[in-house]
Amino acid sequence: MRRPPVTLTLIGRTVLTAFFCLFVLFLYGPTLTIIILSFQGPNGGLTFPMNGVSLHWFARLFEPQAVGDFAGALTRSLLLGSMVMATTVVISIAAGLAFRRRFIGSGALFTLTVASLIIPSILVSLGIGLLFNLAGLDPTWYTSAFGAQLTWTLPFGLLIMFAVFNRFNRAWEEAALDLGASPWQRFRHVVLPIIAPSVVGVALFGFTLSYDEFARTLLTAGSDNTLPLEIFGMTTNVTTPVLYALGTVTTGLSFLVIAAALAAIALIRHAATRSE
Amino acid sequence: MKLRAPYLQAAPLAVILAAFLLLPMIVLVVVSFFDYDSVQIIPSFVLTNYRDVLGSMVTWRTYLSTLRFTAIVWAITLVVGFWVSFYLAFVVQGRVTQLVLFLVCTIPFLTSNIIRMISWVPFLGREGLLNTVLLRLGLIRQPLEFLLFSDFAVVLAYVHLYTLFVVTPIFNTMMRIDRRLIEAAIDGGARFWQIVAHVIIPLCKPGIAIGSIFVVTLVMGDFITVRLMSGGQSASVGLMISNQISLLQYPAACANAVVLLAVVLLMIAAILRIVAIRKEL
Amino acid sequence: MIRKLAGPFSRRRLLRTASLATAGTLAGFPTIWAQNIKNVTLRQFGTGVSNLNAIADKVKADLGFTLQMTALDTDAVTQKAVTQPKSYDVADIEYFITKKVFPTGVLQPMDTKRIKLFDKIVPIFTSGKLTPTSQVAQGTAPHTVAFVESKASTKFAPHPTQWATLIPTIYNADTLGIRPDLVGRPIRNWKDLVDPTFKGKAAILNIPGIGIMDAAMVMESLGTMQYVDKGNMTRPEIDKTVAFLIDTKKSGQFRAFWKTFDESVNLMTSGEVVIQSMWSPAVAAVRSKGIACTYQPLAEGYRAWAGGLGIAKHLSGLELDAAYEYINWYLSGWVGAYLNRQGYYSAVLETSKNYMSPDEWGFWIEGKPAQADIKSPEGKIMEKAGAVRDGGSFYERMGHVACWNSVMTEDRYMIQKWNEFIAA
Repeated sequence: MRRPPVTLTLIGRTVLTAFFCLFVLFLYGPTLTIIILSFQGPNGGLTFPMNGVSLHWFARLFEPQAVGDFAGALTRSLLLGSMVMATTVVISIAAGLAFRRRFIGSGALFTLTVASLIIPSILVSLGIGLLFNLAGLDPTWYTSAFGAQLTWTLPFGLLIMFAVFNRFNRAWEEAALDLGASPWQRFRHVVLPIIAPSVVGVALFGFTLSYDEFARTLLTAGSDNTLPLEIFGMTTNVTTPVLYALGTVTTGLSFLVIAAALAAIALIRHAATRSE
Repeated sequence: MKLRAPYLQAAPLAVILAAFLLLPMIVLVVVSFFDYDSVQIIPSFVLTNYRDVLGSMVTWRTYLSTLRFTAIVWAITLVVGFWVSFYLAFVVQGRVTQLVLFLVCTIPFLTSNIIRMISWVPFLGREGLLNTVLLRLGLIRQPLEFLLFSDFAVVLAYVHLYTLFVVTPIFNTMMRIDRRLIEAAIDGGARFWQIVAHVIIPLCKPGIAIGSIFVVTLVMGDFITVRLMSGGQSASVGLMISNQISLLQYPAACANAVVLLAVVLLMIAAILRIVAIRKEL
Repeated sequence: MIRKLAGPFSRRRLLRTASLATAGTLAGFPTIWAQNIKNVTLRQFGTGVSNLNAIADKVKADLGFTLQMTALDTDAVTQKAVTQPKSYDVADIEYFITKKVFPTGVLQPMDTKRIKLFDKIVPIFTSGKLTPTSQVAQGTAPHTVAFVESKASTKFAPHPTQWATLIPTIYNADTLGIRPDLVGRPIRNWKDLVDPTFKGKAAILNIPGIGIMDAAMVMESLGTMQYVDKGNMTRPEIDKTVAFLIDTKKSGQFRAFWKTFDESVNLMTSGEVVIQSMWSPAVAAVRSKGIACTYQPLAEGYRAWAGGLGIAKHLSGLELDAAYEYINWYLSGWVGAYLNRQGYYSAVLETSKNYMSPDEWGFWIEGKPAQADIKSPEGKIMEKAGAVRDGGSFYERMGHVACWNSVMTEDRYMIQKWNEFIAA
């Protein structure tokens, strides 16, 4: 990967770098607003002008709100995110393996998966809501909403798996087969290590898409709200910069996690070079 | 055993999609033929819902407006997404740096969308951050009103939300381009734009197609961004459906939904005709 | 028992104390076995307006059982009420929605004989008349959907019966909110909303059934239209109203249409809008940020709304008893005072009086100048001493209701036209 990329003049590079920086700035526009406004004074609101500066809203973040239940909703969202993540990973890998061979109905299943991706979320939400209603079942976040979210994350997972297996060199597996490895051993010791980075990608995608999912959960969550729904419900009463404090904390934590991951990579590399 | 394996492996996916996608869609289609009055849904077979949907000028105007948003957002996200991916794939050196820059782009999305949507008001509003900065810099004398609650604001929010959905697949395909092809082109005397046009873009076609599918689907089905960013002044098909849902006019909503579904499927089929995604992934 | 004992609740507390001897445990209520009730969990849903955590905490303390609350947006409330009837035990919904919800059979009629304070409920909900001489306002007046004919019926009764659809809890009279510092002139009529002076700085509600009525108030105020019943328009009336809205929208009068409480607060505090349809506590929220905002009484009167608690069909046995206890408790004063302090009104005003200071009662209900600073239930200062409530006393405000939030007979047509307006 050290090869020089496309030859670009210095000007070209500068222009592209500036473009990228502008793009990032644009992405962070609302985030910056959120961060600034989360330091509102105790009497401040969700918009400018600032009404003093304080840490008041960060303290309030951990107290019960007038309406809504942050802790409960956050717990549900994290749980649901993990459930969706795990299920997406397992099912995507299995289906990815299946699609390496021809089987009856593979074309139909592929079409269905793509359809799952492109059917607008509100329709999936409405359909599942009506289905549960007609069947006399109670929609809950761990049944109907879980299923609704899977119709969104599974196609992502499967597409990534396709990309991996299309480029997968079968020779490794065949070698393992020649050495007498069982199917499980072949999967565990040959296939999995090779596809591991993509599996992490599928997991991250699954969690993030679930955590912030709104439309598909809207009509399927039943009596307990997920975090996005809870926040939306809270806007039916006076909401406060506590919401922004939550945003600031989320952003800060994400940066920390990434920094920690980078540090870990650096450490592993350092250790690897030492042991050589 | 060998013959059964693919079926066992594909079964969970098939079961979940059948239960949570196929069945609900069948329900949608069935209910779209039901009758309803102000309090209840009446099982029957009527075409009034479709007549109401297709016979109304509002539907056509709303579809036109939604398609217009889709076209504009698609064009912008594609251009922006392509060059951002290009920068990440070809200008930035080193895997780790690429990864870090990509992750930096994803962080704003971890804050709930509802919160981010609220924050557009203090960012773009009359007394918002952007207007304040521009006023201070002396670039404008009056606050720019069109920044918020306008079609501009809607497009801006869409671009903000969905560009990353284009960057991800394009970046992915770009990373898989064999660098030797590019070197060969350079050796052959190709200029920068020639390489982009004749080597990189053709090889990125699957990524571009997947990105396009995301953007088209997400914008066509949206109902919350358009309401919040236009201040409720612009319509979208999704919004029309959600208005009907809110008054419990489920059959009407379903008929609308079936029409929307047909339109989206046609658009995606067109994209898939141009690029066979499955083979080129 | 250091807590203030007053009103009918104190009587019940005495009973409770008496029952302690037999039940041998601390929590409990005279009508229900003390041991069981603790395990009961009632699931309630509604908008954030009244699904307050403070109420759930107080229920736990006073009644011993758990009240689980889910706050949803207005649209989701209706959907959930009808499509997920098993996912809740108590529905906190608005009266006009009842017109759609109750006939679907998801709620059970409530026996008014089991509601101890039923006779004390403000007559708006029974006879429809605030005072014996009042006129009933237009729209879906609460008393028209407050009763059904029998225990098994889902048909609304025109007169009070033993079977209630909802037990009222909260209501208010809505009008326009203005920024007195930015409008620059006195605001007296609904038509001021479309005054070209406020071009690009006005907003209305984007909940179709309510927004169209605000528009109707404006049109009547302009004198361009006279409705037979604003709350139940005919097709030609809907056509004309929507045509007017479209013209106004195209002229650039509106900055935005808001849907949630919070949006209206943000529009006002950020200075995007200087005049808009608004809800009372939203005005209070703007004011609490140090920004001037008036809930302007207007010559043509108010648009009112009311909400209440209903019991899900599936509820029975101990849970049903608990639900009745909860609703009785709701009317017994503490919640009423809590709601009154936010600018709403409680259904049984006289019990809430016992939980308010004379000064609070004077300010919120009687329209008298505040003697000392008026505080919100959370203890924040809302009004300085000397302030008078916008619109004055309870009778001045609720006595000038021009129409109630409603569901129209032509609502299917209305939604089509409203979508047309938004798409224009």
